[in-house]
Amino acid sequence: MKQYIVRRVGYSLLSLFLLSLTIFLFVRVTGDPVSLLVEPGASPDDIETMRRQLGLDQPLWVQYGHFVASFVTGDLGLSFYYRTPVLELYFQRLPNSLLLAGVAMALSLLIGIPSGILAAVRVDGFWDSAGKIFSLLGLSLPQFWVGLVLILFFSVYLGWLPSSGSGSVAHLLMPAFTLGWYFAAAHMRLTRSSMLDVLGSEYIKLARLKGLPEALVIGKHALKNALIPVITLAGINLVVMINVAVVVETVFAWPGIGRLLYEGITFRDFPVVQGVVVIGGAMIVLVNLMVDILYALIDPRIRLES
Amino acid sequence: MVSPSLSTTRRGALGLSAAAMIGATLRAANAAPDGELRIGVHVSLAPTWFDPAETPGIITPFLLMYAMHDAMMKAMPGDPVTPCLTESWTMARDGLSYAFTLRKGVLFHNGDALTAEDVKFSLERYRGAASKTLKERVAGVDIHDPHRLTIRLNEPWPDFLTFYAAASGAGWIVPRKYLQQVGDDGFKKAPIGAGPYKFVSFTPGVELVCEAFESYWRKAPVIKRLVFKVIPDEATRLAALQRGEIDIAYSIRGELADELVRTPGLTIKSAVGSAPFWLYFPEQWDPQSPWHDPRVRLAASLALDLKTMDQALTLGNSRLTGSIFPENFEFYWQPPAPVYDPGRARKLLAEAGRARGFDAGDYYCDTSYANIGEVVLNNLREVGIQVKLRPLERAAFFKAYSEKKLKNIVQGASGAFGNCATRAEAFVVKGGTYVYGNYPDIDALFAEQAAEMDRAKREAILHRLQQLVHEKSIYAPIWQLAFISGVGPKVGQSGFGLIRGFPYTAPYEDLTLKGKA
Repeated sequence: MKQYIVRRVGYSLLSLFLLSLTIFLFVRVTGDPVSLLVEPGASPDDIETMRRQLGLDQPLWVQYGHFVASFVTGDLGLSFYYRTPVLELYFQRLPNSLLLAGVAMALSLLIGIPSGILAAVRVDGFWDSAGKIFSLLGLSLPQFWVGLVLILFFSVYLGWLPSSGSGSVAHLLMPAFTLGWYFAAAHMRLTRSSMLDVLGSEYIKLARLKGLPEALVIGKHALKNALIPVITLAGINLVVMINVAVVVETVFAWPGIGRLLYEGITFRDFPVVQGVVVIGGAMIVLVNLMVDILYALIDPRIRLES
Repeated sequence: MVSPSLSTTRRGALGLSAAAMIGATLRAANAAPDGELRIGVHVSLAPTWFDPAETPGIITPFLLMYAMHDAMMKAMPGDPVTPCLTESWTMARDGLSYAFTLRKGVLFHNGDALTAEDVKFSLERYRGAASKTLKERVAGVDIHDPHRLTIRLNEPWPDFLTFYAAASGAGWIVPRKYLQQVGDDGFKKAPIGAGPYKFVSFTPGVELVCEAFESYWRKAPVIKRLVFKVIPDEATRLAALQRGEIDIAYSIRGELADELVRTPGLTIKSAVGSAPFWLYFPEQWDPQSPWHDPRVRLAASLALDLKTMDQALTLGNSRLTGSIFPENFEFYWQPPAPVYDPGRARKLLAEAGRARGFDAGDYYCDTSYANIGEVVLNNLREVGIQVKLRPLERAAFFKAYSEKKLKNIVQGASGAFGNCATRAEAFVVKGGTYVYGNYPDIDALFAEQAAEMDRAKREAILHRLQQLVHEKSIYAPIWQLAFISGVGPKVGQSGFGLIRGFPYTAPYEDLTLKGKA
């Protein structure tokens, strides 16, 4: 078991190293941020001064060395655009992202799981078709479009909800729904397919043969097992919602990490993009590591096989 | 003959009117600032913009600096170099120093008096755009008393005031004592300036709140609170304006601007910034290129239907100056108005041996402004010049442009600060960042003006230089782009367009709400 955990931690650290190297090189391939921070026509002196101030005059390997050394000490560098430590920016936005992601996740599960169960129980019936349409729309309609339609309808025409910003429950409803719908559709599809698998299994057939009420078969025996992959996916999705709700946060002017990432990409703010991606990656790696360890604890075959 | 009673009545009425006017004036003078103005801003506000020392070479930070800070001299309505914190200045005869007399009684928001020490400190601390140029040329600052100082130069520099007052943030004054107490980071968290509005709170990514500084030397602002709300999405910004969540929405373009015009109660306001757009022909120095012939370059210019394009893309608000130099810049020379004449364009092409037109290759532009390129492409095709649109991502475009890697036609633009000399240096004169070739007569004029300390003579030289740029058709100018914003029904004086070349609302102390002016 100890060897298994050490190996998993090693893989996780390697993943993080590769992620940091990839994102470090990738953002630099996209071009020179200085050209976005000064006006076209700025003097070569100004461009050079700016490049020096941002540390971009250093060779790539030196820049990467600084990045890694700072990261290890918990310093993600200074944002080019804000001239503020990236970690400070990240933690300023984190509560907003947690709130939005939490509510969106709750909505997505509240909508996705019951509709997925209904679709599986009434397979090929009306509710299954309705569920398919719902999930198809949720996955295919662009979030910016859904967001703008909601703003037009609920803010401009009805005047019920504020169009953007944060600070109250009313501000949260539209962005949470827009973000949640996409994930609700994904959760609905997974719940449906998982439920169909479970409902076809031998122990469910036995439960039915024993004459257990259908509600008990589905609610107690089938749902427990069917939800395992859904909950696993929801955990990963929560990390995604926190870190990359870029479109929703931009459309609704929600001050979260997704918008920070959007700004980072727009202004080629290398430290911000690197910081957000690496923290997001670290969260996913950590979640996966914990899941791997839990699986190994629960199922001895996993640690023995590995 | 006027009857006594009537005379008395008239006198009485006049007296009453005068009393009422005086009363109203006194009330206005004594009235405390009132109300709140909410401005929907198109970009995220960065704390670095709270500190004038870090002014980058872009216009956006000035939308906050005009609120919280003040400068020795700055662009104001009617005058691009208006004395503000300085009452007056004089240049020494040898051009080696400038003596300034500061305005008395100016206070920072914390109650400290603004003195020459603060001016010296702000200049020495400055590290933003053009800081290297300033530091290389400024020899030192001598303080004579709290309100008089002299800035010494290493050598005569005709553009000193341009750089000190307009092309940098070095002339924007910060409080020395306070800054030394709180440090750079502390200052960004709680900035103190000498502007008409004082900092109240900043929520990153959400809003900046400022409150009227009633002791502002020019006048007390009329509006009590300014709230800058960050709404990056244009459609959301418009929705917030339509709903009354904000009173001013910056940057509403294209179809959304049409929607804004159609919405009752909302008005469109445009301000023309200092960013002209143009077509550049980088191969004009290659004898094998069709662009080598000035008639072909002129034909391209005549083929552009700029009025229609302006109407379609910026609702007729951009300025068709016919120049690559911003009209609000010092030493500007106004060329003849641009003409749309496709018939003459075809004739010129025929004279140049291109009667059937020609394939001009690629048309490079920044993707953000590819919509302009699409219109230009159609215009050029109508006279037989075939081009393919090659939009490049903004950073890649300007990198390739400055590294002289682009060919055929380049759609360029610049909003860099300065004057016509600095603009010529970057875009016209040999060695300029965006110059692909040069003309010796223009280079000679540039060198001549750089050594000329007499302003009138320098202006004449720079006018001649601009005239040559026009006559040689080095560029085909497009327009000076309008920045379109929306204004809600609550706003009285929005401030748009009061300061030439400034795209945002300013001066803030002049803004009013309806019924509260």
